[in-house]
Amino acid sequence: MLNQEQALDALRLVVEPGLQRDIVALGFVQELKVSDGRVAFELQTVRPGEAAEKLKREAEDKLKAAGAEAVAIELTGRARGNPVGDGQGSLPGVRNIIPIASGKGGVGKSTVSANLAVALRQTGARVGLLDADIYGPSIPTIMGARQGPQLQGQQIIPPVLHGVAMCSTGFFLNPDQAVMWRGPMLSKMVDELFRRVIWGELDYLIVDLPPGTGDVQITMCQRIALTGAVIVTTPQPVAVQVAEKAVIMFQQLKTPLLGVVENMAYFESAKTGEREYIFGSGGADALAGHWDIPVLGRIPLATNLRESSDAGAPIVVSNPDSPAAKGFADAAAQLIAAVSVRNLNAEKPVEINF
Amino acid sequence: MPRPLKISRHGSHDIAMEWDTGRETVYPARFLRLACPCAQCQDEMTGKRLITDSALPILTYPTKIEPVGRYAVQVHWSDNHSTGIFTWEYLWELADELDKRREKAALS
Repeated sequence: MLNQEQALDALRLVVEPGLQRDIVALGFVQELKVSDGRVAFELQTVRPGEAAEKLKREAEDKLKAAGAEAVAIELTGRARGNPVGDGQGSLPGVRNIIPIASGKGGVGKSTVSANLAVALRQTGARVGLLDADIYGPSIPTIMGARQGPQLQGQQIIPPVLHGVAMCSTGFFLNPDQAVMWRGPMLSKMVDELFRRVIWGELDYLIVDLPPGTGDVQITMCQRIALTGAVIVTTPQPVAVQVAEKAVIMFQQLKTPLLGVVENMAYFESAKTGEREYIFGSGGADALAGHWDIPVLGRIPLATNLRESSDAGAPIVVSNPDSPAAKGFADAAAQLIAAVSVRNLNAEKPVEINF
Repeated sequence: MPRPLKISRHGSHDIAMEWDTGRETVYPARFLRLACPCAQCQDEMTGKRLITDSALPILTYPTKIEPVGRYAVQVHWSDNHSTGIFTWEYLWELADELDKRREKAALS
């Protein structure tokens, strides 16, 4: 008779094609019950639709081949949440808070944040996007926000753009004024934005951080229960070196790192299809290899990517078949997997009774 | 790096920590207050302690303990001091020091 271990062994043969890992390692198998040769479990996939159905069929086949008499699989498609206690910096209803950071400015962090958020939304997840880059809030432009949030007393209701709830520090700053704030002001701004925006139920809240390793980043890591950070870099050694400082900062603040996105990875000629490595190559690999964090994706340089950012329609919406959009979709899928694995292995938060 | 699973009150003022390694440590309130790592209590460059035992009220105890990210707690004290952030790493070091002191006391 099939036992629990044998059922798990059979399920380990089922590999998520996009993520190249088996469904047990990814934590997709939940509530597994095996008795009298009957197997039942919840399959928590991260990509609903045909891909999920295919995984389900494959799991059935493998279990039957291993000797299961009956198999009942329930498909569920919600992101697993970051396990944190109440009052430990969690936001009600928000399952995962993911800051997007870079060491160096100008590597396309905001473009990556916006497109990742919309690409996550396109998988069926509920997504929010917070622009915490107080020095140069550019998310409203990239997402095409024509109006700011609605205010209801102390609460901020974010506009929804391309299916993503979005709030920006830019909404609350005078556009013709430069931000010259000291630490305490910055910390307060971050706190207020997190607490006062009504996000509703979210699987992922993507946070576009300012470049560098300053007050905003430190306050976030100290006050907010983050699932883990994503680092954006270009292949250029000068960008990688500065990105490394961001990696070290997150490690010191014990914030997990979910992966690296390499932006401006190469330029592909539309005419000949030839690839040119304008900023060199291997930057993200070097960073990932040295710090043992995965490369989530590589985004090529493209004229239409720049144009779509300026026009307020992220390229995953305006030109979904372009190589850049596909790069973002792949990166989003890898990010979902990284979050799933991370939350599965996450340590329980400390219990304080004092 | 070891991390605590539970932080609770021990007796009336002391702090008990249960670590994920199984270790249990009781930090006397005054000991922990004197070990405060913030810049007012310790010189940032030299590490020299700036807070002295005689400067503290006789009865000094924690009023509130709050988590800081995934790596530390912030302790609010009865002498209105709350800027110290005690990381797991630092608390582990202090646990070692307490064990050493207690061993010495037991030998003498």
